[in-house]
Amino acid sequence: MRRIIIDYKKCDGCINCTIACMQAHREDEGTIYDLDLTDPANESRNKSVRAEDGTYRPLFCRHCKEPECVMTCMSGALRKDAENGLVTYDETRCAACFMCVMHCPYGTIKPANSLQKIIKCDFCAADGYEPNCVKACPKKAIHVEEVEA
Amino acid sequence: MREYYGCRTCKSADKQLEEYIRALPMETSHHRVDSQDTKCGFGLQGVCCRLCSNGPCRITPEAPKGICGADADTIVTRNFLRAVAAGSGCYIHVVENTAKNVRDIARSKGEIKGVDALNRLAEMLDITEEDMYLRAEKVAQAVLDDLHRPEYETMKLLRKMSYGPRYETWKRLGILPGGAKAEVFKGVVKTSTNLNSDPMDMLKDCLKLGISTGIYGLVLTNLLNDIVLGEPKLRVAPVGLRVIDPSYINIMITGHQHSMFTYLQKRLIEPDIVEKAKKAGAKGFKLVGCTCVGQDLQLRGAHYEEIFAGHAGNNYTSEAVLATGAIDAVISEFNCTLPGIEPICDKLQIKQICVDSVAKKANAELKEFDFENRERVTEEIIDSIVETYMKRRGGRLNLLMDHGNDDTLTGVSEGSLKEFLGGDWKALIRLIISGKIKGVAGIVGCSNLTAGGHDVLTVELTKELISRDILVLSAGCSSGGLENCGLMTKEAAKYAGPGLREVCEQLGIPPVLNFGPCLAIGRLELVAIELAEALGIDLPQLPLVLSAAQWLEEQAIADGCYGLALGLPLHLGLPPFVTGSPKAAKTLTQDMKHLTGGHVIINDDAKESAEILEKIIQEKRSGLQI
Repeated sequence: MRRIIIDYKKCDGCINCTIACMQAHREDEGTIYDLDLTDPANESRNKSVRAEDGTYRPLFCRHCKEPECVMTCMSGALRKDAENGLVTYDETRCAACFMCVMHCPYGTIKPANSLQKIIKCDFCAADGYEPNCVKACPKKAIHVEEVEA
Repeated sequence: MREYYGCRTCKSADKQLEEYIRALPMETSHHRVDSQDTKCGFGLQGVCCRLCSNGPCRITPEAPKGICGADADTIVTRNFLRAVAAGSGCYIHVVENTAKNVRDIARSKGEIKGVDALNRLAEMLDITEEDMYLRAEKVAQAVLDDLHRPEYETMKLLRKMSYGPRYETWKRLGILPGGAKAEVFKGVVKTSTNLNSDPMDMLKDCLKLGISTGIYGLVLTNLLNDIVLGEPKLRVAPVGLRVIDPSYINIMITGHQHSMFTYLQKRLIEPDIVEKAKKAGAKGFKLVGCTCVGQDLQLRGAHYEEIFAGHAGNNYTSEAVLATGAIDAVISEFNCTLPGIEPICDKLQIKQICVDSVAKKANAELKEFDFENRERVTEEIIDSIVETYMKRRGGRLNLLMDHGNDDTLTGVSEGSLKEFLGGDWKALIRLIISGKIKGVAGIVGCSNLTAGGHDVLTVELTKELISRDILVLSAGCSSGGLENCGLMTKEAAKYAGPGLREVCEQLGIPPVLNFGPCLAIGRLELVAIELAEALGIDLPQLPLVLSAAQWLEEQAIADGCYGLALGLPLHLGLPPFVTGSPKAAKTLTQDMKHLTGGHVIINDDAKESAEILEKIIQEKRSGLQI
């Protein structure tokens, strides 16, 4: 399976990955120039946290081997895709119980601001599984790698 | 075997140049577009603020305000006004030096090449003085006095230099600028930490700076240069890398301050200096035009046939010009002198000289222009160039002698065009009324590498417009690309729609008229004013649109504000880092129509942009019932 691999030492905390994620998943049409950066509906699936020593920890869904989010999902909205190894999310089946949010060890799943669903990485399935965060990183602190499923 | 630096160069509308640059053994800006491909989304929208140590702050849905409390509207308009003030400062620096040079030449009773130009300008400014030199000095001094006025005093020449209905609009809106330098100063102060936070107030200042930039930085710089450098005359000239003749000692000039070169130009063709070149093994000296100063010299080329080789290309052609190996020195006095030419100059042992410290390049020798000591400094410059020539020549050249063309129409100005049309604008107005020419588009400003590539959007948009019978007038680095791509030769009439084509073929002119440097945007405005005057209407009513399709820099943003103050529709290929502010975006693209009459159109697609501009022209025609 393919995964986003992080080299946090290269991260400058520019959060271009965050804005790229928002752009990739916005509901209306448009370019990066007109993405509404004050609209809470534009949410990012990744985030960057500043460590105490001043370095950054960019965080992305790991599509885990044994995903706790999938294990705790009672409605079956979250599944581990046997073929490509990705943890997929079916919004229509989601009961918004947020058990996945509570169990994710990396804090990369979050309730949507609407509280009607969760926000979770889909590996940019709509863009041919080429994550836009990776494309947007000017430091190449993240890259996609084939790893053992 | 050829040594390639790397083949991932950006596209250029000029395919031959694109291939040439791709095969170069050194890195150019065209190579670096790829490695700078990832852009910061916050920067693109203009919502990054680093005005204080709490920053940089960026706007996101979770953080809609900076630490100080500034929202997206404040951050964006503050950044925008800063850019406009800086851009204005650049042009005001140029007009200040130009006026100083005219004054000094007049005081020393130097050569006045454009006596008619002097008389016309003196009349416009109500300066009556018998003695020609005194007249020139007073004209220059009147401009300098205005530039140096405090911000709270409206500039005196403003009314005389503006179109009546426009002046009244500006007065009503409260945007008549005070002293041009003081306005720049105020713009810098206003946008500093925890000062102005009112987006509308700051946008108003942008218009003020636009007016002072346009009337002083653009219009008056041209008219002052006409006095000492001679007026533009229509002629056909060679363009492109073909103008570089390796049998001469070649000096590439970059910048915007042509009046600094008057003495050097004169000296370089005098027998004792030519003898120096001959002794070194060359036929003589040639100035090779590059960037706007080259465009300006090309425009006035009729007066400089012996010394001026021709215009080689625009800002992003400069690396290629140097890479030919036949350039021995670069003399720069302003932008666009790319920092990236330095390693190329080092590698090819090209001497770099700066004559104005504002454009001091890291490895250039600073020979600050000084009117008093110009004779001595010029001799020193010439000697060092001859020395460089002798040291560096003998290596392999990489010429591109079939690049460009031999028959580009140049020398177009408000004066020469009118003269060509029979002394007034009636013929052009008749053609517009008949619909053979639907309207006029000013394709102005710079060249950049990101709106589709080098000159790509400019050239494609121009082709689209002329195919719709819209006459294109061009000024700025956009001209450099358009001329090298052949759109300013008579043969380009074949790209025009049936109406415009007929006109071009009848008159033997191209469908794209070359006004020269970006400074000549001021000349386009004079044409627009004269057309509006002849029709008895205000500027926003004219079937006239502007496009800075590939604007590059802060100066272009200040020019754009002038276009808006004039009430003209202004197309941009890329947004000027303002889209993060709903207020700024709405004001610039919509509400401005109700203030000055102008508005901004942002679109990076040539066809779509042409359709939008054509529609605006049609609406203006309907408004005039034609």
